[in-house]
Amino acid sequence: MKEVVLRSENVNKHFGITHAVKDVSLEFYRGEVHGLIGENGSGKSTYCSMLSGIHSISSGRFILEGKELHVKSLVEANMNGISIVVQEMGTLSGLTVAENIFLGREHKFMHGFIKDTAQMNRETQQLLDSYGLNRINASTVIDNYSFEDRKLIEIVKATYFEPLVVTIDETTTALSQKGREELFKIIEHLKETNKTVIFISHDLSEVLAHTDRISVLRDGALVKTVNSNEVDADELKRLMVGRELDNRYYRTDYDGTVSDEVVLSVSNLSVPGEFEDISFDLHQGEILGIGGLSECGMHELGKAIFGGSYDRTGSVLLPRKGLEITSIPEAIKHGIAYTSKDRDNESIVLAINIADNITLPSLDILAKKRVLKKKELHAFAQSHADRMSVRMTGIKQYVFDLSGGNKQKVVLARWLGRDSDIFVLDSPTRGIDVKVKADIYALMSELKERGKSIIMISEEILELIGMSDRILIMKNGKFNGTFTRSVALTEEDLIAKMV
Amino acid sequence: MPFIGFVGLVLVFSILTKGRILNPRNISLMLSQVYVLMIASLGVFMIMTVGGLDFSQGSILGLTSIVFAWVSPHGIVLGIVAAMLAGALMGAFNGFFHVKFKIASFIVTICTMYLFRGLCEYLTTHGPISASLKVLSLDETWLKILLTTIVITIGFLVIHFTRLGYDLRAIGAGEIAARFSGSRPELTTFLVYTFAGMITGFASFINVIRVGSITGTAGSQLETQILIALVLGGMPIGGGAKARFSNIIFGSLTYSVLERSLPMVFPVSATQQLVKGIIFLIVVALTIDRKSLRVIK
Repeated sequence: MKEVVLRSENVNKHFGITHAVKDVSLEFYRGEVHGLIGENGSGKSTYCSMLSGIHSISSGRFILEGKELHVKSLVEANMNGISIVVQEMGTLSGLTVAENIFLGREHKFMHGFIKDTAQMNRETQQLLDSYGLNRINASTVIDNYSFEDRKLIEIVKATYFEPLVVTIDETTTALSQKGREELFKIIEHLKETNKTVIFISHDLSEVLAHTDRISVLRDGALVKTVNSNEVDADELKRLMVGRELDNRYYRTDYDGTVSDEVVLSVSNLSVPGEFEDISFDLHQGEILGIGGLSECGMHELGKAIFGGSYDRTGSVLLPRKGLEITSIPEAIKHGIAYTSKDRDNESIVLAINIADNITLPSLDILAKKRVLKKKELHAFAQSHADRMSVRMTGIKQYVFDLSGGNKQKVVLARWLGRDSDIFVLDSPTRGIDVKVKADIYALMSELKERGKSIIMISEEILELIGMSDRILIMKNGKFNGTFTRSVALTEEDLIAKMV
Repeated sequence: MPFIGFVGLVLVFSILTKGRILNPRNISLMLSQVYVLMIASLGVFMIMTVGGLDFSQGSILGLTSIVFAWVSPHGIVLGIVAAMLAGALMGAFNGFFHVKFKIASFIVTICTMYLFRGLCEYLTTHGPISASLKVLSLDETWLKILLTTIVITIGFLVIHFTRLGYDLRAIGAGEIAARFSGSRPELTTFLVYTFAGMITGFASFINVIRVGSITGTAGSQLETQILIALVLGGMPIGGGAKARFSNIIFGSLTYSVLERSLPMVFPVSATQQLVKGIIFLIVVALTIDRKSLRVIK
């Protein structure tokens, strides 16, 4: 029958006063795909970090094949048959693909003090080919590959040595449809070879489709472990949140008509190598969805509209004010807000506190005769952080301590504070749990009602269908289809135009 | 922490010198060294807050001192203005190469350190340059304290109550994100280098008051003194949010106390160097804020 390969007994983790993981006891069977879900900050990643030696265990123990696991680092964990694909970028830039994959295991190719690089590259290439990734070259420096390819390389790195248990932490958000399929193929293969996969994701339909059992964590504690074929997404959401979710997750109205008034007019916009000749109008009170595969140029388009691209041609016009936007400070001054897909680098300054982040784009309006008063700045930051109900110890908390969802709330709070009229939201719910997601959708509806306009760039098809008045699909840097809001719109309709 | 370090150091040396460092003559000698250092540190403080470094301030002080000496016979105030302009120009030169050609700031400023120093020595080939005699009559402690206080107060107000201060910290903490928040990192960085040069230009006035005539080596070592002072004052090397204005004040005070006390305790110059190195290491190891290391780029 089912054999337990790994179990945890009353595992706890404390970070200072935060009790991140509370008495979690779990069993993982050999050859199963085990989903681990929960809101941001529910302890999923921390639990797996302890399993893989990234964090130390505060109390409790992991038992692998009947023996207690004592690992102090990732490399030690690997040697014991445990591996992990981390949520953040886990490859080292400046090294080749081969060097990344065999990091910490170079001794295999060492002859005395000399490394047989050719041999290492050959073996890596064979590995990549066996995963169906022959488009990736083992001897190329990893920086030449996209975010997505680097993620796939990481997966190879975490699985090629046939570990007993592989953790895949929130990886699919970084992957396009095609990349996800490649990942699921790998997971399927691991399962067939009797390995155990711990799969962490916010995408519940994905978890339901690809796992055997699912464990739900809430506030660091295990809520329940269920069989995947006996639950649905709503049930999972209920377990995660601990109460019935508001029915209004996406918009419930299907009236896609919007005002005739154009608030933003984009014409013949191009950024070489990213997209070309893009023209469209954004109307008052409209939620305009822009979708496509992750490399289709839509993310760069959002940046270009905000004035953030260096080599842009064409024009971004505000017809009401009769002026053109050419730089970020101008865009902000005239009411355009922007959230980037790359939240940590472009949306928010991680190493300053919440208050400074919220006030930063509004400093020019907060200055009275060029003088800024700390008290007023803090009052401003506090009121907007409260409005977005950011979970924090206070506005002086540094942003790098916050979870993804809370960071995004801070980003939105700053633009609400600036009282922007046009919101360019790139991947607004990327890597964010259902509860915060629902908050963000509600905010978007509210903004729409107040006559604000939104451009929502998203790789999530359901989100596009659920929230947009109009959807533009991009493919290879050009528009390839337009849809208006309708109950009848399906995922297949959109996908057909994307690929 | 920097404050505790400062007080601790003063205490230790008071005991070692049996209170001699606290006598009025020594205090006034210590102060005479601190003015130029503190003023010039203000500029470098801003540069380090945006995440840069500057090794050229000593050479800038040398050149601006010469400019001041030249112009001073036509009026002291005119001389100060000329020195500040010259300093601003040299700072702008640094900033231009750093921002426009995207060369790391420490490389640009090491190059200009030699460049400006070369000019300085070239201009003094025929002997030291003397300032107008009127200048020497200004060598009054109250004036120097007053000027230093004014500059430091202006710096404090600018950094705490204007947009510039907030921009500096944000850019130091994350340049790309600051750009997407509406800051102008390139322009701001350029201006900060220009300001730093200008401030050192002002400091050259106080420098000339003290020394009277300028030789080719005037101001040399100031750049390292500034960096050491700021680090002793608790300045995070990578800049960003943890930069505190008090770093300037306690840093330059701590440095001056060290400079003055060591010769009293260790008469041999070689020993002084040894002890200085050890003390810097210990002070930095004790006071450095390791939490902010995670934000160093």
